[in-house]
Amino acid sequence: MNPPIFIIIMLTVISGTMIVVTTSHWLLVWIGFEMNLLAIIPILMKKYNPRAMEAATKYFLTQAAASMILMMWIIINLLHSGQWTVLKDLNPMASIMMTTALAMKLGLAPFHFWVPEVTQGISMSSGLILLTWQKIAPLSILYQISSTINPNLILTMSILSVMIGGWGGLNQTQLRKIMAYSSIAHMGWMTAIMMYSPTMMILNLTIYIIMTLTTFMLFMHNSTTTTASLSQTWNKTPLITSLILVLMMSLGGLPPLSGFIPKWMIIQELTKNELIMMPTLLAMTALLNLYFYMRLTYTTALTMFPSNNSMKMKWRFECTKKMTFLPPLVVMSTMLLPLAPMLSILD
Amino acid sequence: MMTYIVFILSTVFVVSFVSFSSKPSPIYGGFGLIVAGGIGCGIVLNFGGSFLGLMVFLIYLGGMLVVFGYTTAMATEPYPEAWTSNKAVLAMFITGVLAELLTACYILKEDEVEVVFKFNGAGDWVIYDTGDSGFFSEEAMGIAALYSYGTWLVVVTGWSLLIGVLVIMEVTRGN
Repeated sequence: MNPPIFIIIMLTVISGTMIVVTTSHWLLVWIGFEMNLLAIIPILMKKYNPRAMEAATKYFLTQAAASMILMMWIIINLLHSGQWTVLKDLNPMASIMMTTALAMKLGLAPFHFWVPEVTQGISMSSGLILLTWQKIAPLSILYQISSTINPNLILTMSILSVMIGGWGGLNQTQLRKIMAYSSIAHMGWMTAIMMYSPTMMILNLTIYIIMTLTTFMLFMHNSTTTTASLSQTWNKTPLITSLILVLMMSLGGLPPLSGFIPKWMIIQELTKNELIMMPTLLAMTALLNLYFYMRLTYTTALTMFPSNNSMKMKWRFECTKKMTFLPPLVVMSTMLLPLAPMLSILD
Repeated sequence: MMTYIVFILSTVFVVSFVSFSSKPSPIYGGFGLIVAGGIGCGIVLNFGGSFLGLMVFLIYLGGMLVVFGYTTAMATEPYPEAWTSNKAVLAMFITGVLAELLTACYILKEDEVEVVFKFNGAGDWVIYDTGDSGFFSEEAMGIAALYSYGTWLVVVTGWSLLIGVLVIMEVTRGN
């Protein structure tokens, strides 16, 4: 894409999200969402093939429908409360429907169907923006209305999301679809804790964004999009092989890696609020996620995947892709657990 | 009838939306949009927003829809799909109109019909009293506020319009 246009479009994506995050007026929230959506469409359509067009169209339709539902209930809330301030308590029905609309934007079950299809149809870097940056704005609004969210609705959606993220990702070999189901599951974890401790949701979001950013960058390094291609990285860039191993285990939530922090904190907060079955279910279904991460680790780092002999002798070239900030990101996605006691500043 | 004018206009508004949502060829859809624009203007007028209603006619119908009409005319097909030429379009149109009629009956017969909950009163759709607009009309004051206190909103809106144009051009670039 033409560089000045690309800069303007990225600027609009960023300012759309910033408007949503920083505003206190419901109309500006809707405007921010629409600006974000409009500007990200050309980024999703970077490659001009029909698959990308279809993915961008699907994304646009679902997000526009969600924005419309949000707008309608913003107006109905205005009708009942007479004011536009975001932080004031919402009408209960408006709260339910706004949560539904924001769940459609996030890709929570049962509105998750667009996530794998859209993520698969677009390029790796667009998928990166889709699964990390686009989650910030809806989660910030959910954070602001978290005191009035209906618990039945949000907990149902969250458990369903973790289950669907787990079971859906099991039969996938395409890396983008795997990351999409991973995103669905992580969103489930985030919304589970939203009602009880929204700060933990922000913690989970931060660590999830760091880990997903790193994962996508490692995939982009060798331009791998399938498991089979990833299994050849031992020959192309052996360092990435070990990094994928550690990163996948961090995504799966294994101690002593960073991915364990949010899961631990969330289970702790949920049990503090006297919910027992819910964190048990969440933890058990997260094992399904761990299984497909482990499968990626196994084929990449622990075995030599079947291939013909010519693929086992490759030239090693220097990477020409600009991997901004990758080493610090890898460190942050794997080694943050010893800093977990710093979370006591939240009390 | 004047008490129910907003309700009637809203019902016809929805029916005209149904007429282009049932996806005939864009030429016929454009006709549905024109009707919808005119009716929308009528609804806004009934709430005292005379300036904005006429803006709808001027800018929306007279500017944007005209451009839409010309571009559709450039892309005509020999056998455009009307509402009756294709069973699917006709079925969707009838479904939409039927749903709207049922909703209208549900709203009008408040005490006799109960679907999930009884309808709460036609409320804002019915004008019992046009109200006292004071010395200044609220709508004119709102527009004035947009250009004085609401500078940020104008900036955001203007930027979004610019981005709309840039995005459309990027999307239709095609190479």
